[in-house]
Amino acid sequence: MNMLTRKLIAKEFYLNRWLIAGSTLAGLAGLLIAAEGEVRFNIGMLTWLTTIVAFGVVLAMLSIGNERKERTLQFVLSLPLAHGDYVRIKVIGLLLCFLVPWAILSAGAVTLISVMPNLPDGLLPFAVLLCGFCLANYSVVLCGALHTATEGLITILIIVTNMNVTLFIFMVGALPSLNSHLRAPAPVWNSTFWTVLAVELATLVITLSLPYFVAARRRDFN
Amino acid sequence: MTTTKHIEMHGVRKAFRFFTLEDLSLELAPGQIMGFVGPNGAGKSTSIRLMTGLLTPDAGEVRVLGHAMPESQAVAKRDIGFVSDEMRLFAHATLGWHMRFVASIYPGWDAKYAQTLVKRFNLRPEQNVSGLSSGEHAKAVLLLALARRPRLLILDEPTSGLDPVARHEVLTEFMDVLRDEDRSILFSSHNTVDVERISDRIAFIDRGRLIESSDKEDFLERWRRIQLQMPAGTTVPDLPHVVSRVVDGQFVTLTTNRFSQDLLAFLGSNVREVHRMSLEEIFVANVMYHRETRGQ
Repeated sequence: MNMLTRKLIAKEFYLNRWLIAGSTLAGLAGLLIAAEGEVRFNIGMLTWLTTIVAFGVVLAMLSIGNERKERTLQFVLSLPLAHGDYVRIKVIGLLLCFLVPWAILSAGAVTLISVMPNLPDGLLPFAVLLCGFCLANYSVVLCGALHTATEGLITILIIVTNMNVTLFIFMVGALPSLNSHLRAPAPVWNSTFWTVLAVELATLVITLSLPYFVAARRRDFN
Repeated sequence: MTTTKHIEMHGVRKAFRFFTLEDLSLELAPGQIMGFVGPNGAGKSTSIRLMTGLLTPDAGEVRVLGHAMPESQAVAKRDIGFVSDEMRLFAHATLGWHMRFVASIYPGWDAKYAQTLVKRFNLRPEQNVSGLSSGEHAKAVLLLALARRPRLLILDEPTSGLDPVARHEVLTEFMDVLRDEDRSILFSSHNTVDVERISDRIAFIDRGRLIESSDKEDFLERWRRIQLQMPAGTTVPDLPHVVSRVVDGQFVTLTTNRFSQDLLAFLGSNVREVHRMSLEEIFVANVMYHRETRGQ
């Protein structure tokens, strides 16, 4: 990683520092609420999930959409880098910015389920898949934002990725081979779990690679 | 020995849905300030975006500091300071942060000069960019480009948001840059007063075509407005290099782009006055003449 790449990634962390810190705190607050008992568990986890998804959307929109809209992109592109470098640095920088709160909050959720005595450990596979989904969903938002210049398409992207959350919970959560083990005393890491995880990983790889082949090869950058 | 031109554009074409930049050829040698003048929508910003690698030409060749654009833009931009009136800094970071950020990327960053500019432009490094007025913002962007000590400054309407005093300060800085004869500036504007003040070469562009490019002094020497009083019943014959002719009774005003003593001698005692033209007058007359010639 060259010096310019490091500086521009550090720039993403600096400019998004309050968003990263605030989202991490909000997600942790959700986990604390969830730790207060079975009744508050759902409220807390909903706060946790909403925080991660909203953080991803806001991070991508502020760092890519607003850079274009507020014309700070011209300042960045006046630096000694090519279009391909810009796209590569954006993907790496914004992925790392997302990974910090995501890793803390995912670890927190898994730990919470593991240590809370009144919560079945059977929830763990679904929690892991939900964390994986949040990361894959963010990579879709990031990829879309790097390929989309118009506000209308960005709005559609936000709506679609938010709908994905509901679809994931109701469709994946309803899969019999996962659903039937949710209240089990021990986690069941069956083939359905591994298949869903593989789909999430594939989504992650495809959406993070696509900008290198499409956005980075754009002839004009405005 | 041939010196590498700082900007070379040959037969460049870039088409958009409602606008086409056609057959643009332009050269800027080291040590020169070129004023790139055109009305709104003439193609100045498109040309500059091609020079800075933001756009890829459909045809033709763009080389900046000897590097092919946009292919080698990452290398070329190490020595280019690019400023546009549309360029914005990050609103929630301070000017000081921007200065440290740019300084960390450019080894040639001149910290002492940056501090001098901070004082001269009356800026406060600890202030958030969101709190800067539009004039202060324009000066901050210029500071970040100038303190890199680039070999080539490309400035797209850099003085458009500035008051007359700030414009004077900024233009003085541009002149200062040129003390080093290996540096050059391309400076786009529709403010011909600024261009006339600092440029030594001028290029006029209109409706996507370069209409003329020459030394400023050459423009100022060649263009004249001649007032004639013709005897009753006579007219001025067709003359070469007369780009406009306005008749008001016996009085005729000719505008020529190739003024010479021979022309004056030919017109003889009919000449009442000969006026030197300002760059703005030359620019307008030139644009109108080319539009008429092209039937636009």
